[in-house]
Amino acid sequence: MAFYILTYVCAVVFILATGCLIYKQITLPLHVRWEIYPVQHETSAQTTYGGSYMEKVNWWTRPYKTSPINEVKYMVPEILLLRGLWKENRRLWFASFPFHLGLYLMIATLVLLLLHACFTLWGFEAFADGKTCGILLSGLMTVTGWVGLVAGTFGGLGILYKRITDRELRIYSTFADYFHVVFILLFFFLAFLTCLPGDPFLNGAKAYVLGLLTAGAFMPSYAPGQNIFGALTIVLASLLIAYIPLTHMSHMFMKYFLYHNVKWDDAPNRQGSLIESAVMQNLKFKPTWKAKHIGADGTKSWQDIASSAPKETK
Amino acid sequence: MKTFLKPSDIAHASDRLCHMEPGDLTPLPHPYEDFNQTVLTPLKPEKIKNIEASLDDTVAIGIPRPASREEEEALVSQFLSGLKKLFEKENNWTFLQPLLLSMEHCARCQTCSDACPAFEMSGRKEIYRPIFRSEVLRRIYRKYLKPNGKIMARLTGDIDLNWTTIARLAELSYRCTLCRRCASVCPIGVDNGLINHEIRKLFSQEMGIAPKEIHDKGSVLHLRVGSSTGMTPPAAKDSVEFIQEEMEEMTGYKVEIPWDVEGADILLLHNAGEMLAWPENVGAFAIIFQAAGLSWTMSSEAAGYDAINYGLWYDDVQFSRVAVRHADIARRLKVKKIVIGECGHAHKALTVIADRLLTGDLNIPRESAMVTLEDIVMSGKLKFDPGKNNFPVTLHDPCNVVRAMGIVEPQRRILRKIAPQFREMTPHGVENYCCGGGSGFAIMSGYNFAEWRNLVSSRKKFMQILEAFRNEPREIPKYVCAPCSNCKGAIRDIIDYYHAEERSHLHYGGLVELIVNALDGMKKPIIRFGDKPSWEL
Repeated sequence: MAFYILTYVCAVVFILATGCLIYKQITLPLHVRWEIYPVQHETSAQTTYGGSYMEKVNWWTRPYKTSPINEVKYMVPEILLLRGLWKENRRLWFASFPFHLGLYLMIATLVLLLLHACFTLWGFEAFADGKTCGILLSGLMTVTGWVGLVAGTFGGLGILYKRITDRELRIYSTFADYFHVVFILLFFFLAFLTCLPGDPFLNGAKAYVLGLLTAGAFMPSYAPGQNIFGALTIVLASLLIAYIPLTHMSHMFMKYFLYHNVKWDDAPNRQGSLIESAVMQNLKFKPTWKAKHIGADGTKSWQDIASSAPKETK
Repeated sequence: MKTFLKPSDIAHASDRLCHMEPGDLTPLPHPYEDFNQTVLTPLKPEKIKNIEASLDDTVAIGIPRPASREEEEALVSQFLSGLKKLFEKENNWTFLQPLLLSMEHCARCQTCSDACPAFEMSGRKEIYRPIFRSEVLRRIYRKYLKPNGKIMARLTGDIDLNWTTIARLAELSYRCTLCRRCASVCPIGVDNGLINHEIRKLFSQEMGIAPKEIHDKGSVLHLRVGSSTGMTPPAAKDSVEFIQEEMEEMTGYKVEIPWDVEGADILLLHNAGEMLAWPENVGAFAIIFQAAGLSWTMSSEAAGYDAINYGLWYDDVQFSRVAVRHADIARRLKVKKIVIGECGHAHKALTVIADRLLTGDLNIPRESAMVTLEDIVMSGKLKFDPGKNNFPVTLHDPCNVVRAMGIVEPQRRILRKIAPQFREMTPHGVENYCCGGGSGFAIMSGYNFAEWRNLVSSRKKFMQILEAFRNEPREIPKYVCAPCSNCKGAIRDIIDYYHAEERSHLHYGGLVELIVNALDGMKKPIIRFGDKPSWEL
């Protein structure tokens, strides 16, 4: 039961930490535009060369249109294949891609394990052991699990090697950077040691996830972590889930904000729009910057200050 | 001197943190090999004895040295107070979200490094690496502002905060042109250019520290007299009157530049530097607009005849004041739109950044002159003879117009129509390199800073230009089209510095000059290679 409790706690930490990160982002005040082109939700003609809607004469008389399809066309290879890194930093891609692939496939394996557990609990006959769908699901999770473990291990070792041997990476790498990689590598390594000798079809993982969903009630005879490696894998996997949102590795999902709220945030401010309302709210903030030319005393708003002259000019 | 610097080394006092030796810089091709051993002229000890100059071989700001330990401590304390404000919505709503995201999510993968022309051309000097200054700020922020920062610093990267750290960081924020090429290649979306921008803001808005060219003689002068050139409204009118006469003499075309026409369709905003340094640009705009029959005007109100907004580079408050001034002038003139002339940073300032500052009737539509000009050239209203531009032309992409606004093709469609020997640089468009004069560098020339710009930050642009014309005979005149005042200034300076007019027959100018040069009906060409214009005689 201690294993389940640990995993529950870590899952809660993950949810709370991720929730906090996202909540913080969505409650920040609207910032000024700082997009950088190419903006991938532009229309097809413009995404090919990085153009914008501002290339059109009297652009404000036209509706502001974005293309979710173009965005998806860009983001899918960016997320899955790390296209940007392939283009700009190929030497690192050869280590970073398998590392990320390993993590993605671990997430996919977890999702498949959860599906398997749900189908089992709901009594879906088609997914029972020995039935075609059940065999396919088990086969798929075996593939994602093993490919993920192999890719992640090699990628992790590659990243560690690069960080240690490449001077440019080494002088900016801190203890925390090495710790992140070693932590993940250790998880991959222990999962290997757990599955390779006696559990190539991840039956232990299936049983553990079933137990997680039922607080151990579904298979009372099953005890999680039946050997030291299995136990350590459960502990590390749980801790890893909690750890990711607490580090810069949260870029895995925070990249959404970096792209959508900054790099591609090109929405124009139109009179009467929500953007305009947000700007008007922002202009009520009272800055306290101390330089003389600012003329801020904590009582004047941004609007007051922006419509005044700096002290030097008075 | 240490060969491999780490971010924490910024805090360790020494005469110079970084020094350039002959041969360190990326070699230039033939016939410029004689510049390959050139280094910066050493700063004279008597000139720097009272200022902070321990970063590298140049000085951009010239911060006075504190007189006592107490003064140093007070400045460190001011710095921390300003740093805290960068992360408060009341003080920094303008950039809070982008800053937080870039501070928290860098993987230190160094993808940004190869994208930075200053870093590359310097011979990969560590302090110019895009992440170097970001990492310094990140470490100070984590150690001194985050809970348990001093303990966590041992795990996430330590740094000492003292006056040396701060003085060098302030200088270092003026070794990046804010071209944001680094941001455009970051796989995560982290923006080291933005972090640099925020460092500049901290120093200006909290401590009143900024280069005099962009603050005292820049935004302050702009707001006080009407232009950073020092031109008052009557002086601006005089200049324009002179331009009208010159245009008639140069081209045989009589042009009238309208002032303060209420209800005109267009308020044209020029960088006032054009009136003094490149009056033919202002004249060419007038010829095109007049020939196309547009309803337009210029404003003679203070700041209304100068589109610049230097606050964009270092101070949100100064930025806001100028943007509001511009918009208010347009509002009172009751124009339908503002068209921004060939000035890159004015484009981004008024069109993009001020978009979330101007509300209600101050939110006057703004358009790039590239777009307006394309509309005119492609409309068929004017007739062109491209044969008049039958010389090699390449196009520089101002970062603020192209990478920051996505205005990429209008200027190219014009050039394809009027310049038969137009060819692209490599790379071009949104991937093009900065001219090296971005973020104020083109106007900063104190101490030996202009030399640093020519040798380091503009070097990549110079090499790109040479490469674009590599197969052309030396004696053929070649035209670098740079539709931005600051970029033109930087390109003018590299042409002068490397004697490129004599050695490669390189010339530069704007887009409108090429348009007018190809215009049917002009009695004389506006572009005359090698001739000094009357205002330079």
